[in-house]
Amino acid sequence: MIVPRLRKKGLLIQELRDEVLVYDLERHKAHCLNPTAALIWRHCNGRTTVSEMAALLEEELGIPADEGLVWSALEKLGRAHLLRERVTRPEGVPRQSRRELLRKLALGLAGGVLLPAVTSILAPVAASHGSCAHVGESCATLNCCTGCACVATFCIGTC
Amino acid sequence: MGRLGWVAGISIGAYGRSIGIRVNRPQVLNEIRSLLPPGWKPKSSPVVGRLYSLMVGGADPRRNLHRYHLLYSDAQRVARTMSLKEALRRLESEIDLYVAEWARRRVFVHAGVVVWKGQAIVLPGRSYSGKTTLVAALVRAGATYYSDEHAVLDSKGRVHPYAKPLSFREDVGGGPRRCAAEDLGGLVGSEPVRVGMVIMCEYRDGARWRPRLLSPGRAVLALLAHTVPARRRPSDALAVLKRVVAEARVFSSARGEAEEMADSILSLCG
Repeated sequence: MIVPRLRKKGLLIQELRDEVLVYDLERHKAHCLNPTAALIWRHCNGRTTVSEMAALLEEELGIPADEGLVWSALEKLGRAHLLRERVTRPEGVPRQSRRELLRKLALGLAGGVLLPAVTSILAPVAASHGSCAHVGESCATLNCCTGCACVATFCIGTC
Repeated sequence: MGRLGWVAGISIGAYGRSIGIRVNRPQVLNEIRSLLPPGWKPKSSPVVGRLYSLMVGGADPRRNLHRYHLLYSDAQRVARTMSLKEALRRLESEIDLYVAEWARRRVFVHAGVVVWKGQAIVLPGRSYSGKTTLVAALVRAGATYYSDEHAVLDSKGRVHPYAKPLSFREDVGGGPRRCAAEDLGGLVGSEPVRVGMVIMCEYRDGARWRPRLLSPGRAVLALLAHTVPARRRPSDALAVLKRVVAEARVFSSARGEAEEMADSILSLCG
């Protein structure tokens, strides 16, 4: 029986009203878990099974209990390195596209917001916020903006 | 490098950091003073956290030579150029970035800021995203100028002015054109103000303005992508941005010409 466990080591966690923000100090990545993903992640406590998580989705968010939905969330959380160990979907639980899930759960297009989502960004390096030289400008004293290269002290490219 | 004949220098304090600047030609210090961060104060101690050294070159008629201008940040050379203007531009950029990354008790977001009806409108954006042009259009439409470069946030999520003259990029190959907000018919703010709205908008030719409200979580991510100390102080950054989005509405949309957008943006504030 698979009982996922969330990772806490090396993470900064900020709870919002129904979303969760997680900053990975090791990878300098920040993630936003929508309410569905957040609920599942919070219950990755090493004791709650996937079917119990599905029941919780119905109880707390009014989403039809579906293990496929929970697995979709766990895979997203695993790819974001937010679980202690990546979990593997069992053979009997097929992968479904977003459209298929919406249809299966009779959620309609507007129900898309209820599907688990983990939005991620790479935290920028401070230097990326400095002034930069644009195409055609001198790069003798400023680095070229992203997309350009410094050739013979001038930026060329499509920055 | 300490033996290179530095004849003048200044120590300053800005946003909780001490910075030293030394030069081999004292006349250039006046121009450097005009490029320093807003609110800087002179310090008497020569012990600083970051030292910039500007070796002014130029023509040496005795030897029929023309020397490069050299700029160092601590021991690292960061600029070597025949143009003193370029060297000073790089010095200004280096100091701005150092302060933005290391400031104490403030979180710097790379953004333009104006204030309208008592609330700040924050416009995050990278270099060349059109921030200055949009800020100028909003100032001409009656908003109060706070910054075209940084939203300086405190722990309560309020934004403080960082009101250097607006810096417009002009012709390709030319330097920036500076313009005071007053020259646009605008006022410059002086007090911290709470953030009422954040607009993530980048200029795209012909783009349609379709603002989409972001959830608080996505709003924090969108702001974090423009937060200068995001990696150095992620805990402080997240806490401050969380305060901001708790009270502000955060929109995302591409935008067209700044003058056409100004009224649309101000009308969103109600």
